[in-house]
Amino acid sequence: MKQSFVFSGSGGQGIMSAGITLAQTAIDMGKHATYLPEYGPEQRGGSAKCTVVISDEPIISPLPKCCDNLIVMNEQAYAKFFEDLKSGGVLLANASRVKEANDRDDVTAILAPVDDIALGLGNPRAANIVLLGVLIGATGVVSREAFVKSLEKKFKAKKPEVLAMNIQALDQGIALGKK
Amino acid sequence: MGEKRFMKGNEAIAEAAVRGGCRFFAGYPITPQNEIPEYLSWRLPEVGGAYVQGESEVASINMVYGASAMGTRAMTSSSGPGISLKAEGISYLAAAMLPALIVNISRGGPGLGSIQPAQSDYLQATKALGHGGFHAMVFAPNSAQEAVDIVYDAWEYAERDRNPVLVLMDGCLGNIMEEVELPPMKELSDDDIPEWSLSRRNGRDYQGNITPIYTEPILEGINMMSGEMYKAWEEDDVKVEEFLMDDAEYVVVAYGIASRVSKEAILKLREEGFKIGMIRPITLFPFPKKNLHDLDYSRVKGIIDIEMTVPAQMRDDIALQVMERAPIYEYGRSGGMLLDDDGVYDAIKEIVTGGNDNG
Repeated sequence: MKQSFVFSGSGGQGIMSAGITLAQTAIDMGKHATYLPEYGPEQRGGSAKCTVVISDEPIISPLPKCCDNLIVMNEQAYAKFFEDLKSGGVLLANASRVKEANDRDDVTAILAPVDDIALGLGNPRAANIVLLGVLIGATGVVSREAFVKSLEKKFKAKKPEVLAMNIQALDQGIALGKK
Repeated sequence: MGEKRFMKGNEAIAEAAVRGGCRFFAGYPITPQNEIPEYLSWRLPEVGGAYVQGESEVASINMVYGASAMGTRAMTSSSGPGISLKAEGISYLAAAMLPALIVNISRGGPGLGSIQPAQSDYLQATKALGHGGFHAMVFAPNSAQEAVDIVYDAWEYAERDRNPVLVLMDGCLGNIMEEVELPPMKELSDDDIPEWSLSRRNGRDYQGNITPIYTEPILEGINMMSGEMYKAWEEDDVKVEEFLMDDAEYVVVAYGIASRVSKEAILKLREEGFKIGMIRPITLFPFPKKNLHDLDYSRVKGIIDIEMTVPAQMRDDIALQVMERAPIYEYGRSGGMLLDDDGVYDAIKEIVTGGNDNG
Protein backbone atom coordinates (compact mmCIF):
# COMPACT_ATOMS: atom_id res chain seq x y z
CA MET A 1 0.00 0.00 0.00
CA LYS A 2 1.35 3.40 -1.02
CA GLN A 3 0.25 6.59 0.74
CA SER A 4 1.27 10.16 0.00
CA PHE A 5 1.22 13.05 2.47
CA VAL A 6 1.58 16.75 1.80
CA PHE A 7 2.41 18.90 4.83
CA SER A 8 2.15 22.63 4.41
CA GLY A 9 2.20 25.75 6.53
CA SER A 10 4.59 28.59 7.15
CA GLY A 11 8.27 28.37 8.02
CA GLY A 12 8.67 27.85 11.76
CA GLN A 13 5.54 25.73 12.23
CA GLY A 14 7.52 22.51 12.19
CA ILE A 15 6.26 21.35 8.80
CA MET A 16 9.58 19.97 7.57
CA SER A 17 10.34 18.39 10.91
CA ALA A 18 6.91 16.70 10.94
CA GLY A 19 7.50 15.24 7.48
CA ILE A 20 10.97 13.93 8.27
CA THR A 21 9.88 12.40 11.59
CA LEU A 22 6.94 10.64 9.96
CA ALA A 23 9.10 9.29 7.13
CA GLN A 24 11.85 8.20 9.51
CA THR A 25 9.31 6.41 11.73
CA ALA A 26 7.90 4.55 8.73
CA ILE A 27 11.40 3.42 7.77
CA ASP A 28 12.11 2.30 11.33
CA MET A 29 8.95 0.15 11.03
CA GLY A 30 10.44 -1.58 7.98
CA LYS A 31 8.47 0.41 5.39
CA HIS A 32 9.93 2.54 2.62
CA ALA A 33 9.66 6.32 2.57
CA THR A 34 10.76 9.41 0.66
CA TYR A 35 10.67 12.99 1.91
CA LEU A 36 10.86 15.95 -0.45
CA PRO A 37 11.09 19.46 1.03
CA GLU A 38 10.09 22.48 -1.04
CA TYR A 39 10.78 25.97 0.06
CA GLY A 40 11.73 29.28 -1.41
CA PRO A 41 14.66 31.50 -0.47
CA GLU A 42 12.86 32.60 2.71
CA GLN A 43 12.97 30.63 5.96
CA ARG A 44 10.88 31.55 9.02
CA GLY A 45 7.53 32.99 8.00
CA GLY A 46 7.70 31.97 4.35
CA SER A 47 5.65 29.14 2.94
CA ALA A 48 6.82 25.62 3.70
CA LYS A 49 5.77 22.39 2.04
CA CYS A 50 7.00 18.85 2.06
CA THR A 51 5.82 15.67 0.39
CA VAL A 52 6.19 12.29 2.10
CA VAL A 53 5.51 8.99 0.36
CA ILE A 54 5.25 5.85 2.48
CA SER A 55 4.94 2.38 1.02
CA ASP A 56 5.45 -1.29 1.79
CA GLU A 57 7.29 -1.55 -1.55
CA PRO A 58 10.35 0.44 -2.66
CA ILE A 59 9.20 3.85 -3.91
CA ILE A 60 9.58 4.52 -7.62
CA SER A 61 8.40 8.10 -8.07
CA PRO A 62 8.62 10.54 -5.18
CA LEU A 63 6.59 13.14 -7.10
CA PRO A 64 2.86 12.42 -6.88
CA LYS A 65 0.65 15.12 -8.40
CA CYS A 66 -2.15 14.61 -5.91
CA CYS A 67 -1.89 13.38 -2.35
CA ASP A 68 -3.89 10.93 -0.24
CA ASN A 69 -3.46 13.05 2.88
CA LEU A 70 -3.23 16.83 3.07
CA ILE A 71 -2.06 18.34 6.34
CA VAL A 72 -2.30 22.13 6.54
CA MET A 73 -1.17 24.37 9.36
CA ASN A 74 -2.66 27.65 8.13
CA GLU A 75 -5.30 29.07 5.78
CA GLN A 76 -2.85 30.00 3.01
CA ALA A 77 -1.64 26.40 2.84
CA TYR A 78 -5.22 25.15 2.74
CA ALA A 79 -6.17 27.52 -0.07
CA LYS A 80 -3.05 26.64 -2.06
CA PHE A 81 -3.25 22.87 -1.87
CA PHE A 82 -6.81 21.66 -1.17
CA GLU A 83 -7.39 20.96 -4.86
CA ASP A 84 -4.38 18.60 -4.83
CA LEU A 85 -6.09 16.26 -2.35
CA LYS A 86 -7.38 13.08 -3.97
CA SER A 87 -11.06 12.31 -3.83
CA GLY A 88 -11.61 10.06 -0.82
CA GLY A 89 -8.50 11.46 0.85
CA VAL A 90 -7.96 12.85 4.32
CA LEU A 91 -7.73 16.57 5.03
CA LEU A 92 -6.21 17.44 8.37
CA ALA A 93 -6.33 21.13 9.19
CA ASN A 94 -5.04 23.12 12.13
CA ALA A 95 -8.39 24.50 13.34
CA SER A 96 -6.58 27.09 15.45
CA ARG A 97 -5.76 28.89 12.20
CA VAL A 98 -7.91 27.33 9.48
CA LYS A 99 -11.40 28.57 10.21
CA GLU A 100 -13.25 27.19 7.23
CA ALA A 101 -12.36 24.01 5.42
CA ASN A 102 -15.60 22.92 3.82
CA ASP A 103 -14.91 23.33 0.10
CA ARG A 104 -14.85 19.59 -0.51
CA ASP A 105 -17.49 17.01 0.36
CA ASP A 106 -15.56 14.10 -1.22
CA VAL A 107 -12.84 14.01 1.44
CA THR A 108 -12.70 13.25 5.16
CA ALA A 109 -11.99 16.55 6.86
CA ILE A 110 -10.49 16.59 10.34
CA LEU A 111 -10.23 19.94 12.04
CA ALA A 112 -8.05 19.85 15.12
CA PRO A 113 -7.01 22.93 17.12
CA VAL A 114 -3.40 21.78 17.42
CA ASP A 115 -1.97 25.23 18.26
CA ASP A 116 -4.38 25.59 21.16
CA ILE A 117 -3.64 22.08 22.42
CA ALA A 118 0.12 22.71 22.27
CA LEU A 119 -0.34 26.03 24.03
CA GLY A 120 -2.34 24.23 26.71
CA LEU A 121 0.65 21.94 27.23
CA GLY A 122 2.83 24.99 27.70
CA ASN A 123 4.78 24.61 24.48
CA PRO A 124 3.40 26.06 21.24
CA ARG A 125 6.32 24.48 19.38
CA ALA A 126 4.80 21.03 19.95
CA ALA A 127 1.86 21.84 17.66
CA ASN A 128 3.39 19.74 14.88
CA ILE A 129 3.62 16.73 17.21
CA VAL A 130 -0.06 17.14 18.19
CA LEU A 131 -0.79 17.31 14.48
CA LEU A 132 1.11 14.07 13.78
CA GLY A 133 -0.72 12.50 16.71
CA VAL A 134 -4.07 13.35 15.11
CA LEU A 135 -2.84 11.93 11.80
CA ILE A 136 -1.64 8.73 13.46
CA GLY A 137 -4.89 8.40 15.44
CA ALA A 138 -7.03 8.92 12.36
CA THR A 139 -5.07 6.90 9.78
CA GLY A 140 -2.79 4.52 11.69
CA VAL A 141 -0.03 5.27 9.17
CA VAL A 142 2.60 4.45 11.77
CA SER A 143 2.27 2.96 15.25
CA ARG A 144 2.36 5.04 18.43
CA GLU A 145 5.15 2.83 19.73
CA ALA A 146 7.38 3.47 16.72
CA PHE A 147 6.64 7.19 16.80
CA VAL A 148 7.54 7.42 20.49
CA LYS A 149 10.89 5.80 19.62
CA SER A 150 11.42 8.49 16.98
CA LEU A 151 10.66 11.16 19.57
CA GLU A 152 13.14 9.57 21.97
CA LYS A 153 15.83 9.80 19.29
CA LYS A 154 14.83 13.32 18.30
CA PHE A 155 14.95 14.69 21.83
CA LYS A 156 17.72 12.56 23.31
CA ALA A 157 20.01 15.58 23.76
CA LYS A 158 17.25 17.59 25.49
CA LYS A 159 16.00 17.46 29.08
CA PRO A 160 13.67 14.49 29.83
CA GLU A 161 10.75 16.91 30.42
CA VAL A 162 10.90 17.89 26.75
CA LEU A 163 10.40 14.30 25.65
CA ALA A 164 7.62 13.75 28.21
CA MET A 165 5.80 16.88 27.03
CA ASN A 166 6.07 15.79 23.40
CA ILE A 167 4.74 12.33 24.19
CA GLN A 168 1.83 14.03 25.95
CA ALA A 169 1.30 16.17 22.84
CA LEU A 170 1.35 13.04 20.71
CA ASP A 171 -1.16 11.23 22.92
CA GLN A 172 -3.59 14.15 23.00
CA GLY A 173 -3.37 14.25 19.21
CA ILE A 174 -3.93 10.50 18.87
CA ALA A 175 -6.96 10.65 21.17
CA LEU A 176 -8.43 13.44 19.07
CA GLY A 177 -7.64 11.66 15.80
CA LYS A 178 -9.41 8.48 16.92
CA LYS A 179 -12.68 10.33 17.52
CA MET B 1 25.82 -5.52 4.61
CA GLY B 2 26.55 -1.83 4.59
CA GLU B 3 25.15 0.74 6.88
CA LYS B 4 21.56 1.97 6.25
CA ARG B 5 20.60 5.58 6.74
CA PHE B 6 17.76 7.91 5.82
CA MET B 7 19.60 10.73 4.08
CA LYS B 8 19.19 13.62 1.69
CA GLY B 9 20.70 12.95 -1.73
CA ASN B 10 23.15 15.79 -1.19
CA GLU B 11 24.32 14.42 2.16
CA ALA B 12 24.54 10.92 0.73
CA ILE B 13 26.81 12.22 -2.03
CA ALA B 14 29.01 13.96 0.54
CA GLU B 15 29.34 10.86 2.74
CA ALA B 16 29.95 8.60 -0.27
CA ALA B 17 32.70 10.97 -1.46
CA VAL B 18 34.45 10.74 1.91
CA ARG B 19 34.16 6.95 1.90
CA GLY B 20 35.44 6.90 -1.68
CA GLY B 21 38.62 8.63 -0.56
CA CYS B 22 37.84 12.34 -1.01
CA ARG B 23 40.06 14.39 1.29
CA PHE B 24 39.68 17.86 -0.20
CA PHE B 25 36.65 19.97 -1.02
CA ALA B 26 36.48 23.58 -2.12
CA GLY B 27 33.27 25.27 -3.15
CA TYR B 28 31.07 28.30 -2.92
CA PRO B 29 27.44 28.19 -1.67
CA ILE B 30 24.51 27.91 -4.06
CA THR B 31 21.06 26.37 -3.72
CA PRO B 32 20.06 23.51 -4.14
CA GLN B 33 23.38 21.83 -3.31
CA ASN B 34 24.32 23.52 -0.03
CA GLU B 35 24.01 20.35 2.04
CA ILE B 36 27.08 18.96 0.25
CA PRO B 37 29.53 21.64 1.45
CA GLU B 38 27.72 21.93 4.79
CA TYR B 39 28.16 18.22 5.45
CA LEU B 40 31.76 18.12 4.26
CA SER B 41 32.68 21.16 6.36
CA TRP B 42 32.50 18.98 9.48
CA ARG B 43 32.97 15.54 7.96
CA LEU B 44 36.25 16.07 6.09
CA PRO B 45 38.16 17.33 9.17
CA GLU B 46 37.00 14.17 11.00
CA VAL B 47 38.93 12.01 8.53
CA GLY B 48 41.99 14.24 8.23
CA GLY B 49 40.76 15.97 5.08
CA ALA B 50 40.44 19.65 4.32
CA TYR B 51 37.34 21.72 3.58
CA VAL B 52 37.58 25.20 2.12
CA GLN B 53 34.75 27.58 1.41
CA GLY B 54 36.42 29.54 -1.33
CA GLU B 55 35.92 33.24 -1.93
CA SER B 56 34.39 32.36 -5.31
CA GLU B 57 33.64 29.50 -7.67
CA VAL B 58 36.74 30.36 -9.72
CA ALA B 59 38.99 30.19 -6.67
CA SER B 60 37.37 26.94 -5.54
CA ILE B 61 37.85 25.02 -8.76
CA ASN B 62 41.47 26.15 -8.89
CA MET B 63 42.01 24.93 -5.33
CA VAL B 64 40.67 21.57 -6.52
CA TYR B 65 43.27 21.74 -9.31
CA GLY B 66 46.01 22.29 -6.73
CA ALA B 67 44.86 19.52 -4.41
CA SER B 68 44.49 17.09 -7.28
CA ALA B 69 48.00 17.90 -8.56
CA MET B 70 49.23 16.72 -5.17
CA GLY B 71 47.49 13.38 -5.70
CA THR B 72 44.67 14.08 -3.23
CA ARG B 73 41.18 12.94 -4.14
CA ALA B 74 39.50 16.33 -4.55
CA MET B 75 36.03 17.54 -5.42
CA THR B 76 33.79 20.53 -5.78
CA SER B 77 30.04 20.86 -6.09
CA SER B 78 27.74 23.58 -7.34
CA SER B 79 24.60 24.22 -9.35
CA GLY B 80 24.17 25.52 -12.93
CA PRO B 81 25.32 29.15 -12.56
CA GLY B 82 28.23 28.09 -10.36
CA ILE B 83 29.27 25.36 -12.78
CA SER B 84 29.38 28.01 -15.53
CA LEU B 85 31.78 30.03 -13.38
CA LYS B 86 33.91 26.93 -12.83
CA ALA B 87 33.99 26.09 -16.53
CA GLU B 88 37.42 27.61 -17.11
CA GLY B 89 38.92 25.68 -14.21
CA ILE B 90 37.31 22.41 -15.29
CA SER B 91 38.82 22.87 -18.75
CA TYR B 92 42.22 23.47 -17.11
CA LEU B 93 41.82 20.26 -15.07
CA ALA B 94 41.19 18.37 -18.30
CA ALA B 95 44.18 20.06 -19.95
CA ALA B 96 46.49 19.25 -17.05
CA MET B 97 45.12 15.69 -17.02
CA LEU B 98 44.00 15.93 -13.41
CA PRO B 99 41.29 13.77 -11.84
CA ALA B 100 38.53 15.44 -9.83
CA LEU B 101 34.88 14.97 -9.00
CA ILE B 102 32.54 17.78 -9.94
CA VAL B 103 28.93 17.59 -8.81
CA ASN B 104 26.18 19.68 -10.42
CA ILE B 105 22.88 19.63 -8.50
CA SER B 106 21.00 21.39 -11.24
CA ARG B 107 18.23 24.00 -11.14
CA GLY B 108 16.16 26.05 -13.55
CA GLY B 109 17.93 28.21 -16.11
CA PRO B 110 19.26 30.02 -18.06
CA GLY B 111 21.05 32.76 -16.15
CA LEU B 112 20.29 32.92 -12.46
CA GLY B 113 17.25 30.83 -13.36
CA SER B 114 15.38 29.40 -10.41
CA ILE B 115 16.57 27.79 -7.20
CA GLN B 116 13.99 25.06 -7.84
CA PRO B 117 15.02 21.78 -9.48
CA ALA B 118 15.39 21.31 -13.25
CA GLN B 119 17.34 19.14 -15.68
CA SER B 120 18.47 22.10 -17.73
CA ASP B 121 22.23 21.42 -17.80
CA TYR B 122 22.35 18.31 -20.02
CA LEU B 123 23.90 20.10 -22.96
CA GLN B 124 26.47 21.90 -20.81
CA ALA B 125 27.39 18.64 -19.09
CA THR B 126 27.71 16.47 -22.16
CA LYS B 127 28.82 18.82 -24.93
CA ALA B 128 30.87 21.65 -23.48
CA LEU B 129 31.64 21.64 -19.78
CA GLY B 130 34.22 24.27 -20.67
CA HIS B 131 36.08 25.58 -23.70
CA GLY B 132 38.51 23.62 -25.81
CA GLY B 133 36.60 20.53 -26.85
CA PHE B 134 37.16 18.17 -23.92
CA HIS B 135 34.70 15.80 -22.29
CA ALA B 136 34.24 14.42 -18.80
CA MET B 137 32.38 11.22 -18.03
CA VAL B 138 28.90 12.33 -16.97
CA PHE B 139 26.93 10.18 -14.55
CA ALA B 140 23.24 10.84 -13.88
CA PRO B 141 22.01 8.79 -10.91
CA ASN B 142 18.25 8.60 -10.24
CA SER B 143 18.28 7.90 -6.51
CA ALA B 144 20.31 8.66 -3.43
CA GLN B 145 21.50 5.04 -3.47
CA GLU B 146 22.70 5.18 -7.05
CA ALA B 147 24.39 8.52 -6.33
CA VAL B 148 26.24 6.89 -3.43
CA ASP B 149 27.40 3.98 -5.59
CA ILE B 150 28.58 6.27 -8.39
CA VAL B 151 30.30 8.87 -6.21
CA TYR B 152 32.03 6.15 -4.18
CA ASP B 153 33.79 4.95 -7.34
CA ALA B 154 34.13 8.31 -9.10
CA TRP B 155 37.87 8.61 -8.46
CA GLU B 156 38.49 5.12 -9.82
CA TYR B 157 37.38 6.47 -13.20
CA ALA B 158 38.93 9.91 -12.71
CA GLU B 159 42.35 8.54 -11.72
CA ARG B 160 42.27 5.83 -14.37
CA ASP B 161 41.65 8.44 -17.05
CA ARG B 162 43.43 11.38 -15.39
CA ASN B 163 40.33 13.39 -16.25
CA PRO B 164 37.54 15.03 -14.25
CA VAL B 165 34.25 13.18 -13.69
CA LEU B 166 30.90 14.96 -13.51
CA VAL B 167 27.90 13.79 -11.52
CA LEU B 168 24.75 15.54 -12.75
CA MET B 169 21.71 15.33 -10.52
CA ASP B 170 18.79 17.75 -10.26
CA GLY B 171 17.86 19.65 -7.11
CA CYS B 172 14.94 17.36 -6.49
CA LEU B 173 17.12 14.27 -6.08
CA GLY B 174 19.61 16.37 -4.13
CA ASN B 175 16.97 17.29 -1.59
CA ILE B 176 14.87 14.13 -1.34
CA MET B 177 15.55 12.05 1.73
CA GLU B 178 15.47 8.32 1.15
CA GLU B 179 17.12 5.19 2.43
CA VAL B 180 20.69 4.55 1.46
CA GLU B 181 23.09 1.78 2.24
CA LEU B 182 26.57 3.16 2.70
CA PRO B 183 29.68 1.29 1.61
CA PRO B 184 32.71 0.93 3.90
CA MET B 185 35.46 3.55 3.99
CA LYS B 186 38.11 2.98 1.33
CA GLU B 187 41.37 2.75 3.22
CA LEU B 188 43.88 4.53 1.00
CA SER B 189 47.53 4.85 1.95
CA ASP B 190 50.36 6.98 0.60
CA ASP B 191 51.11 4.07 -1.75
CA ASP B 192 47.81 4.82 -3.50
CA ILE B 193 48.90 8.34 -4.42
CA PRO B 194 49.15 8.41 -8.21
CA GLU B 195 52.64 8.16 -9.72
CA TRP B 196 52.28 11.40 -11.66
CA SER B 197 51.40 13.53 -8.65
CA LEU B 198 53.66 16.23 -7.24
CA SER B 199 53.37 14.76 -3.77
CA ARG B 200 56.52 13.92 -1.87
CA ARG B 201 54.63 11.84 0.64
CA ASN B 202 55.94 8.35 1.23
CA GLY B 203 59.50 9.43 0.48
CA ARG B 204 58.85 10.11 -3.19
CA ASP B 205 61.17 12.17 -5.28
CA TYR B 206 59.85 15.14 -7.13
CA GLN B 207 58.06 13.63 -10.09
CA GLY B 208 58.01 16.27 -12.75
CA ASN B 209 55.49 18.72 -13.98
CA ILE B 210 51.75 19.27 -14.02
CA THR B 211 50.79 21.89 -16.55
CA PRO B 212 47.87 22.95 -18.72
CA ILE B 213 50.29 24.60 -21.19
CA TYR B 214 51.84 22.66 -24.04
CA THR B 215 53.62 23.29 -27.32
CA GLU B 216 51.36 22.82 -30.34
CA PRO B 217 52.51 19.34 -31.41
CA ILE B 218 52.17 18.04 -27.87
CA LEU B 219 48.76 19.65 -27.46
CA GLU B 220 47.62 17.98 -30.67
CA GLY B 221 48.88 14.67 -29.31
CA ILE B 222 46.95 15.21 -26.10
CA ASN B 223 43.79 16.01 -28.09
CA MET B 224 44.26 12.77 -30.01
CA MET B 225 44.75 10.78 -26.82
CA SER B 226 41.56 12.30 -25.46
CA GLY B 227 39.71 11.24 -28.60
CA GLU B 228 40.90 7.66 -28.08
CA MET B 229 39.82 7.83 -24.45
CA TYR B 230 36.28 8.95 -25.38
CA LYS B 231 36.03 6.03 -27.83
CA ALA B 232 37.17 3.63 -25.13
CA TRP B 233 34.46 4.96 -22.81
CA GLU B 234 31.84 4.07 -25.43
CA GLU B 235 33.17 0.53 -25.54
CA ASP B 236 33.69 -0.07 -21.85
CA ASP B 237 31.90 2.38 -19.62
CA VAL B 238 28.34 2.94 -20.83
CA LYS B 239 25.86 2.42 -18.02
CA VAL B 240 22.20 2.10 -18.90
CA GLU B 241 19.01 0.58 -17.49
CA GLU B 242 16.49 -1.05 -19.82
CA PHE B 243 13.01 -1.35 -18.32
CA LEU B 244 10.26 -3.53 -19.87
CA MET B 245 11.92 -3.30 -23.28
CA ASP B 246 11.31 -6.85 -24.58
CA ASP B 247 8.01 -6.08 -26.28
CA ALA B 248 7.96 -2.27 -26.08
CA GLU B 249 6.21 -0.45 -28.91
CA TYR B 250 6.90 2.94 -27.40
CA VAL B 251 10.23 3.69 -25.76
CA VAL B 252 10.57 6.39 -23.13
CA VAL B 253 14.07 7.82 -22.82
CA ALA B 254 14.60 9.56 -19.50
CA TYR B 255 17.37 10.01 -16.95
CA GLY B 256 17.56 11.09 -13.30
CA ILE B 257 14.33 12.20 -11.63
CA ALA B 258 12.42 12.09 -14.95
CA SER B 259 13.12 8.36 -15.19
CA ARG B 260 11.49 7.67 -11.83
CA VAL B 261 8.35 9.61 -12.61
CA SER B 262 8.25 7.95 -16.04
CA LYS B 263 8.64 4.46 -14.60
CA GLU B 264 5.61 5.00 -12.35
CA ALA B 265 3.57 6.12 -15.36
CA ILE B 266 4.79 3.22 -17.52
CA LEU B 267 3.73 0.67 -14.89
CA LYS B 268 0.26 2.21 -14.75
CA LEU B 269 -0.04 2.28 -18.56
CA ARG B 270 1.16 -1.33 -18.81
CA GLU B 271 -1.78 -2.31 -16.59
CA GLU B 272 -4.00 -0.70 -19.23
CA GLY B 273 -2.33 -2.79 -21.94
CA PHE B 274 0.00 -0.22 -23.50
CA LYS B 275 3.35 -1.76 -24.43
CA ILE B 276 5.76 0.87 -23.18
CA GLY B 277 9.34 0.47 -22.05
CA MET B 278 12.16 2.74 -21.02
CA ILE B 279 15.82 3.24 -21.77
CA ARG B 280 17.49 5.13 -18.93
CA PRO B 281 20.98 6.48 -19.56
CA ILE B 282 22.97 6.32 -16.33
CA THR B 283 26.02 7.67 -18.14
CA LEU B 284 24.97 10.66 -20.24
CA PHE B 285 28.49 10.74 -21.65
CA PRO B 286 29.26 8.16 -22.94
CA PHE B 287 25.66 8.08 -24.18
CA PRO B 288 24.05 4.62 -24.58
CA LYS B 289 23.99 4.89 -28.37
CA LYS B 290 23.79 1.18 -29.09
CA ASN B 291 20.65 0.65 -26.99
CA LEU B 292 18.80 3.18 -29.11
CA HIS B 293 20.48 2.33 -32.40
CA ASP B 294 19.81 -1.41 -32.22
CA LEU B 295 16.11 -1.26 -31.35
CA ASP B 296 13.78 -3.35 -33.48
CA TYR B 297 12.21 -0.52 -35.45
CA SER B 298 9.73 -2.87 -37.09
CA ARG B 299 8.14 -3.03 -33.62
CA VAL B 300 8.95 0.37 -32.11
CA LYS B 301 6.36 2.95 -33.08
CA GLY B 302 7.76 5.95 -31.27
CA ILE B 303 10.41 7.33 -28.93
CA ILE B 304 9.32 9.59 -26.07
CA ASP B 305 11.98 11.89 -24.60
CA ILE B 306 10.93 12.96 -21.09
CA GLU B 307 13.02 15.55 -19.29
CA MET B 308 12.48 18.13 -16.57
CA THR B 309 13.46 20.89 -18.97
CA VAL B 310 11.87 22.53 -21.99
CA PRO B 311 12.77 22.08 -24.78
CA ALA B 312 14.21 18.59 -24.33
CA GLN B 313 18.02 18.64 -24.54
CA MET B 314 18.74 14.93 -25.06
CA ARG B 315 16.67 14.83 -28.25
CA ASP B 316 19.56 15.31 -30.71
CA ASP B 317 21.57 12.50 -29.10
CA ILE B 318 18.51 10.25 -29.41
CA ALA B 319 17.80 11.32 -33.01
CA LEU B 320 21.33 10.45 -34.12
CA GLN B 321 20.65 6.83 -33.15
CA VAL B 322 17.01 6.57 -34.19
CA MET B 323 17.87 7.86 -37.67
CA GLU B 324 14.26 8.69 -38.58
CA ARG B 325 13.16 5.08 -38.14
CA ALA B 326 10.52 6.21 -35.60
CA PRO B 327 9.04 9.57 -34.61
CA ILE B 328 10.49 11.25 -31.54
CA TYR B 329 8.08 12.94 -29.15
CA GLU B 330 8.94 14.96 -26.09
CA TYR B 331 7.36 16.04 -22.82
CA GLY B 332 8.77 18.10 -20.03
CA ARG B 333 8.32 20.68 -17.32
CA SER B 334 10.82 23.44 -16.83
CA GLY B 335 12.01 26.54 -15.00
CA GLY B 336 11.71 24.89 -11.59
CA MET B 337 8.21 23.47 -12.20
CA LEU B 338 8.39 19.77 -11.36
CA LEU B 339 7.34 16.74 -13.36
CA ASP B 340 4.65 14.76 -11.55
CA ASP B 341 3.11 11.32 -11.87
CA ASP B 342 -0.20 12.43 -13.40
CA GLY B 343 1.38 14.86 -15.85
CA VAL B 344 3.79 12.28 -17.23
CA TYR B 345 1.09 9.59 -17.33
CA ASP B 346 -1.26 11.88 -19.29
CA ALA B 347 1.50 12.97 -21.68
CA ILE B 348 2.62 9.44 -22.52
CA LYS B 349 -0.96 8.25 -22.88
CA GLU B 350 -1.79 11.09 -25.24
CA ILE B 351 1.21 10.20 -27.40
CA VAL B 352 0.57 6.44 -27.54
CA THR B 353 -3.12 6.89 -28.29
CA GLY B 354 -2.28 9.21 -31.17
CA GLY B 355 -3.51 12.40 -29.58
CA ASN B 356 -0.16 14.11 -29.96
CA ASP B 357 1.18 14.86 -33.44
CA ASN B 358 4.22 16.69 -32.11
CA GLY B 359 6.55 14.06 -33.62
